[in-house]
Amino acid sequence: MASISLLNPKAEFARASQALAINISAAKGLQDVMRSNLGPKGTVKMLVSGAGDIKITKDGNVLLHEMQIQHPTASMIARASTAQDDSTGDGTTTTEVLDKVKVPVEINKKNLVEVANTSLKTKVHPALADLLTDVCVNAVLTIASADKTKPVDLHMVELMEMQHKSDTDTQLVRGLVMDHGARHPDMPKRLENAYILTANVSLEYEKAEVNSGFFYKTAEEREAFVRAEREFIDQRVKKVIELKRSVCDGTDKTFVLINQKGIDPISLDALAKEGILALRRAKRRNMERLALACGGTAMNSFDDLQEEHLGYAGVVYEHVLGENKYTFVEDCKNPLSVTILIKGPNKHTITQIKDAIRDGLRAINNTIADKALVPGAGAFEVRAYNELVAFKDTIKGKSRLAVQAFADALLVIPKTLAVNSGYDAQDTIVKLTVEDRMSPELPVDLGVYDNYIVKKQILNSCSIIASNLLLVDEVMRAGMTSLKG
Amino acid sequence: MIYEQVAEEQLPNNDILYREGCNDLNRITYTPRLLSVDLAGTLGHLPVTGELYGNFVQRDEELLPLSTGEELEQARKRAEESGVCAPEQLEVQAQPKSAISEYQRDLLKNAVVPEKNYQLAATANSWADFLYARYHPRTLNVLPGLIRDPTAQALGTYSTGTEMWQEASFNEEFCDRIRLYVEECDGLQGFHVLFDIDDGFGGLTGKCLEHLNDEYSRASFVLPLHYPRITSYAQADSRLSHSIRVVNNVLGYHQLSEQAMMFTPLSTLETIWRNNNLKSRSLPGLQWETDNLYQTSALLAAFFDTATLSYRLRQTPESLLRFCERVTPAGRKLTAAGLALPFGLREGQDLIEFLDQSGDHALLTQLTPGCEPGTSYVVQSVTARGIPVERLKRPRELAGDQLRMAAYGCDSISHMLQLYYQCTYHGSVTNAAATPLPLKTQLPFPYEMFAAGISGGGYRLPEGAERETGSRVDSAPMLAALQNSTKLGEHLDNLHAQSHRVQLAKLQAYSNSCLERDEYDTALDQLLEFRDLYADSQYL
Repeated sequence: MASISLLNPKAEFARASQALAINISAAKGLQDVMRSNLGPKGTVKMLVSGAGDIKITKDGNVLLHEMQIQHPTASMIARASTAQDDSTGDGTTTTEVLDKVKVPVEINKKNLVEVANTSLKTKVHPALADLLTDVCVNAVLTIASADKTKPVDLHMVELMEMQHKSDTDTQLVRGLVMDHGARHPDMPKRLENAYILTANVSLEYEKAEVNSGFFYKTAEEREAFVRAEREFIDQRVKKVIELKRSVCDGTDKTFVLINQKGIDPISLDALAKEGILALRRAKRRNMERLALACGGTAMNSFDDLQEEHLGYAGVVYEHVLGENKYTFVEDCKNPLSVTILIKGPNKHTITQIKDAIRDGLRAINNTIADKALVPGAGAFEVRAYNELVAFKDTIKGKSRLAVQAFADALLVIPKTLAVNSGYDAQDTIVKLTVEDRMSPELPVDLGVYDNYIVKKQILNSCSIIASNLLLVDEVMRAGMTSLKG
Repeated sequence: MIYEQVAEEQLPNNDILYREGCNDLNRITYTPRLLSVDLAGTLGHLPVTGELYGNFVQRDEELLPLSTGEELEQARKRAEESGVCAPEQLEVQAQPKSAISEYQRDLLKNAVVPEKNYQLAATANSWADFLYARYHPRTLNVLPGLIRDPTAQALGTYSTGTEMWQEASFNEEFCDRIRLYVEECDGLQGFHVLFDIDDGFGGLTGKCLEHLNDEYSRASFVLPLHYPRITSYAQADSRLSHSIRVVNNVLGYHQLSEQAMMFTPLSTLETIWRNNNLKSRSLPGLQWETDNLYQTSALLAAFFDTATLSYRLRQTPESLLRFCERVTPAGRKLTAAGLALPFGLREGQDLIEFLDQSGDHALLTQLTPGCEPGTSYVVQSVTARGIPVERLKRPRELAGDQLRMAAYGCDSISHMLQLYYQCTYHGSVTNAAATPLPLKTQLPFPYEMFAAGISGGGYRLPEGAERETGSRVDSAPMLAALQNSTKLGEHLDNLHAQSHRVQLAKLQAYSNSCLERDEYDTALDQLLEFRDLYADSQYL
């Protein structure tokens, strides 16, 4: 009898070996669900909900979230995996073996392509993975600083999606793609040699905040009142138009206004008459991206507008797709912010590609931060296994068993990879361990790499979770609700 | 049919709340500019992407040819073709099909039988079962990782709600969806916000209002809704549940008093706190089950639809901002709701007679729990709908007694209501508006609520007479009001009185979600300061 049942007769509990069995079966259950996803040959899952929502994924983290886990142990593991995904922050202890196999790399395109490709091939079909690899690497390299010392801000890579019936294509746009267009029929659809003014200034007439009404005798008088109320906004529009005239008149240059605040139809009309393309309600983050992509500064007031505040883009054009409009800002001088444009036939494939791209970008970014890689495809696990077996002989007592168990556990990854690719697990493992013992140099020539920091994090969290699970000797469920019945 | 008789400027301008779009099949859609956040499991048979733009699998074979959804096998093939995985490698994991209510099935088949009794009051499990509107893919949002639990609130506390708002996977997408709707607007007036204040959605809304104010700085008309039930929370008995509810309410009201332009708590219950036998408000001519969410929500929706009508008419000079300011003098942002449904006009009776005979009997029933604005020093906005102009008064030659009444000089419904309130309410300011369009009470409105003594047009039948059996009330005239007076301070006093019993330290649900004691105390203090705005009884 556990003491809890004295306090609450309705409490459920499981003790000692029973508790351990619960934990282990939960962990095994999760492993069973996940194992077929591992590696480039793993299966892709299409989850269809009761209402018909579709999700396609191979990402363990997504799967864990979708399964809506109830079991306490399983949810603990699931949370650890979420944490892994959320942060690639450093672990607290360095893992010795990992440091030994770590390969310092020079940050060049080839290395980045290899690590991104490894990551992406485990997510999508190889043909698509090759394409995405190219896009991701180019994206990061474009926005990274020349000497690769500053950390790369991945927010400066915008992911824009376009649902298009027949077109599947993902491309890198060296500039910005926005998911809205001009709201005036007379505005130009395409501009070349464009000045870009980014602003956060309202060009929208708001009704006065006080309880006021118009009292007028004639239509002219009413007009006058309305005009006076609008004057305020019109002044701002006039300043933009003046600037446009001063920089564009007599040249072949054109003018684009991208505003974070609203622009009302009357202001749009005035701008359209001048041939200015105006966009309203731009994303807050796009303001920052625009300044990086085109140059110039985002303006908070139009009081002191100068030419140097303006950015530049070679071409700005609008693309209409169904009810959605997109605006492309391309051919920028020195883009420090780029857009990856994902086209797909339906929402769920786009989401899957987007997830893959995020992971690919992250893998590249980690490599740049680590300046090191770990050989992938199970090579690290096999090496670690051999090192651990050798290490086992140097220690005494019960710990020997623990080391052996940990070493065996590491082999699960290469085993699962082998099984998923249709090889015999035993054969492969024996071949691998022997090969690894024979050739002490690292298998780096195949171009399959994993991130150093990711492996480090896995090793840290897996041993912590495992020891937590083993330390549990009682599981109980009792709460206020069960007490009161 | 009704529309033909109505002057253009008295029709509602539906483009204010709805947008026109075009789906992939090039069909025109007309969907509300709405964003909804809910728990997984509430949507029932509804796919998150809505039903108009495809991107989901239609699980029901019977409905397949009628909807924009795909067949499962076809969806699988298309996904493989798009190159996200190797051919024949896609493993399908389908969860059991969600049940679809009979009404929804008939609606999708476009075969709703108006005479059929769908038993919605007894069978509706969530709003998806009686939903009439169809949504844009942007509209529906599901909170990540939370599943609806019929026994307890899954999103229990105010602070878990605020944490939910900050969740990156939710926040970014949601804010972007707000922006996309706003981008479409030529003259954004503001936002209507409705939410449950008894659970964590209060926190979510509080944060959302902050975002709306930061980003768009427009008027917001907020309606916190109280459950017409005793709510229960995870890991709490009834006493603790009550405490959690009070803390949620304190934090919610405090946030609204700072962020909202105007807020009007709504519930069909008489009081919210310590109302253990669930005493409900009653409207003459209507009967409903006290804790039936389908019926009570229809009442609240009828109020909301009518109260907001005055600034949603075509060519109206009114705007949301002015509407709010008019009933919230001196920072008194809390307002009370009043409703008369059905209006109470007898069959064949004129408005002038009805008002003359009403005597001391109040026209309105309060829909804000624990609030009685009284009859003096009230600031209010009254909207009447469905009273035809012919029923205002009789023409001069037939007028008889009516000629002697002071109100005979009034030429419009709104004018007469204004005069009525001028006479009956002391020292008050009334804004009245009227439209001849009645409230439509056909399916999916819970028409069964109307008593037998109400005619098909929503008028009171003479004493003892009953509507033909089997016929239903199709429409009803009604009155809705937003009122403000010093007496509303009592509502806040009641809440404050409840807070004395709360021992915050004992609330496990709150200690888990790291609410600081200081934070709660500050909220309580500032709520008291807010209450002081209602102190001066003479002030208008």
